[in-house]
Amino acid sequence: MTDTTQFLDARKLNCPLPILKAKKTINGMKSGETLKILATDPGAVRDFEAFANQTGHKLLESTTMDSEFHFILQKA
Amino acid sequence: MELEHIQKIALIGFFGATIFGAIASRTQFCTMGAISDWINMGSLTRFRVWFLAMGLALVVTQILYLTGSIDLGESIYHTTSFTWLGYIFGGLLFGIGMTIASGCGQRTVVRLGGGNLKSLIVLLVMGLTAYMTLRGILSIPRLFINDPTTWQFSDAGLASQGLHDILSRFTGLSPSNIAVILTVIIGGAAVVFAFLDRQVWSRFDNLLAGIGIGLLIAGAWYTTGVIGYDDFDPIQLEGVSFISPVGNTISYLMTFTGATINFGIAIVLGTLFGSFIYSLITGNFRIESFSDTSDLVNHIIGAILMGFGGVLALGCTIGQGITGMSTLALSSIFSLGSIILGCIFTLKVQYNLLDDLGFWKAVKVTSLEMLGRKSSDE
Repeated sequence: MTDTTQFLDARKLNCPLPILKAKKTINGMKSGETLKILATDPGAVRDFEAFANQTGHKLLESTTMDSEFHFILQKA
Repeated sequence: MELEHIQKIALIGFFGATIFGAIASRTQFCTMGAISDWINMGSLTRFRVWFLAMGLALVVTQILYLTGSIDLGESIYHTTSFTWLGYIFGGLLFGIGMTIASGCGQRTVVRLGGGNLKSLIVLLVMGLTAYMTLRGILSIPRLFINDPTTWQFSDAGLASQGLHDILSRFTGLSPSNIAVILTVIIGGAAVVFAFLDRQVWSRFDNLLAGIGIGLLIAGAWYTTGVIGYDDFDPIQLEGVSFISPVGNTISYLMTFTGATINFGIAIVLGTLFGSFIYSLITGNFRIESFSDTSDLVNHIIGAILMGFGGVLALGCTIGQGITGMSTLALSSIFSLGSIILGCIFTLKVQYNLLDDLGFWKAVKVTSLEMLGRKSSDE
């Protein structure tokens, strides 16, 4: 399990809020720091993959646990 | 039991929409999501997929028109009344509404099929608002906006507000020749724009969404205009839309024993069924609910804006964005442009709200941003 720097609870939020909140949080972080995100929107998996691909941030983890999606992003 | 003509057409629509719902569920086909990817991530891929669907629908629909298979003049998009303020204002309201309600009418139907109960509330409120705007108390503000601002194209001798007829008048070319030229330019540009991105043509889901949804939407014209054509039992030439039909679906379900199904209702029910079956088969069906009171309030406001704005704009992202655009109606360009603008503005306000600016300050900062200026308060 990676020690994460920041945490974002985006459960029960639908597109576009999880991405908006992650973008805002990660903008305030330093390079190399990590952000753990919890989400329940089924579209979040695709959204965070696309977000990482597009922005250059690294998607270190993308897992599903008990109907929740867990992501860890590392700021580029 | 012998099915009536309209019931047969509705049944075909239902099956087509079931495939539509399954594809939209699998591929997360979503206009608001496409704009969000563009604005929030700088990714145009989903927007290009949307343009692929629109471009293909346009090409196939225009082929149906040019071969005389359908008469677009029979559709609601080619009326001679041009309610320009309604298209712009309604489009803006719809764009704002779909962003705060987590998606447009089509996306809301698909989400409900996947178990999202927020979407059930959005759909009910949006459908009732649309119905009230068409036939009820909200027709008063609708007429207040539209009556003094309606341009009658027939006064200028135009047969419709289709770009064919408008440009034919100014160029002297025949409407058919104009249709060919516009199909090549607009349809071709949309498809080329889509395929310039490797992600679009190298990923099965993106191709499935763009091609599948584009063809199914054009297929709706074929179903009501060709299969449904009957001199003795005529039915309305109708495409795919998700605002008025949602209101009609609610009314139909409440008055079922004395009501007759129509194509639009079948499309809504089929899309819901397709999404439901797909999410069950893939194990993705899950009940979702509101996170808190403000989440509920936001979704209700978004639903009202979509219901009222969607009727004023004569359609939604699908109804005007793809179906209307496929007919080359001038109103579709006004409505679609306004929907996109309203969505972009709201996405930026939502982002600025995360800075705890307060609502009006966020609106002001966003307005200045979009005008290319900095806020003097910063």
